[in-house]
Amino acid sequence: MASKNQGPAAPRALVVEDIKVDLVVLLRMLRKLNCEATVAHNGKEAVDLFLEGKTFDIVFFDKDMPVMTGPEAVTKIRAMGASEVKMVGVSADFGGLDAFMQAGADVFVPKPMKLETLDAMLQEVIDKNMSG
Amino acid sequence: MDYSNLRRQAASMKKSLFDQGYLDEQFCQVEDLQDEASPNFAEEVITLFFKDSARLISNIEQALEKYPKDFNKWDAYMQQLKGSCSSIGASRMKSECMSFREFCGQGNVEGCMKSFQKVKREHGVLRQKLEAYFQLLRQAGPAGAATRPGM
Repeated sequence: MASKNQGPAAPRALVVEDIKVDLVVLLRMLRKLNCEATVAHNGKEAVDLFLEGKTFDIVFFDKDMPVMTGPEAVTKIRAMGASEVKMVGVSADFGGLDAFMQAGADVFVPKPMKLETLDAMLQEVIDKNMSG
Repeated sequence: MDYSNLRRQAASMKKSLFDQGYLDEQFCQVEDLQDEASPNFAEEVITLFFKDSARLISNIEQALEKYPKDFNKWDAYMQQLKGSCSSIGASRMKSECMSFREFCGQGNVEGCMKSFQKVKREHGVLRQKLEAYFQLLRQAGPAGAATRPGM
């Protein structure tokens, strides 16, 4: 059963997704795990948030989006020096694995993501923040 | 009104949707995201899905006509639809989306056209069935979330 992330501060999440249904489901899952998220609707919006100085603990990227894809955004954000933020590539396209990992993502998760998987990833981030 | 009977009917209807392959476990995951704060979350997501998917289907239809043999474009649109199908557990629709993408990969226009018709058909059937399911759940009342089917 998914845990509620209480006590330590909940991770700051960014969800980068252009398809409404997928976005709504992932946001609901995050909320169920007591994690509020910022939303970007394509890779460029995500990059712009980092350029504005926003920081996140974990970012979920869809792969194929208009304006800028997920892997492209991962590459750019890593190039900006954001090495600590956990970057998760999410796609129903299994070809996304190579694209995301080569771009510098930490992990690839096929869609649809399971709540248990999400909980485990958030817990990793919490543990890392507590130990750091 | 016999609410427990309505709930049984809803559970039976949902089991049937699973047994016939219309839905998969992901649908249960979506229903599990409901709580007191969002008691109608599943129906809201499904409503959003059908609104979005109708638009995507329309886009694909236009692309098939306006961009003959542009398999990359056709595939890109269908990839979006497939992703949404995955997110709500629309299993049969997802399979038809995958068939379409395979035909795109083969450069098979006829295959794409036939497959697209199947996608539209599955979309229509699923919409009818889920509308009936949620209508039954609404009639069954607030405690009307059906239990997991025996899988």
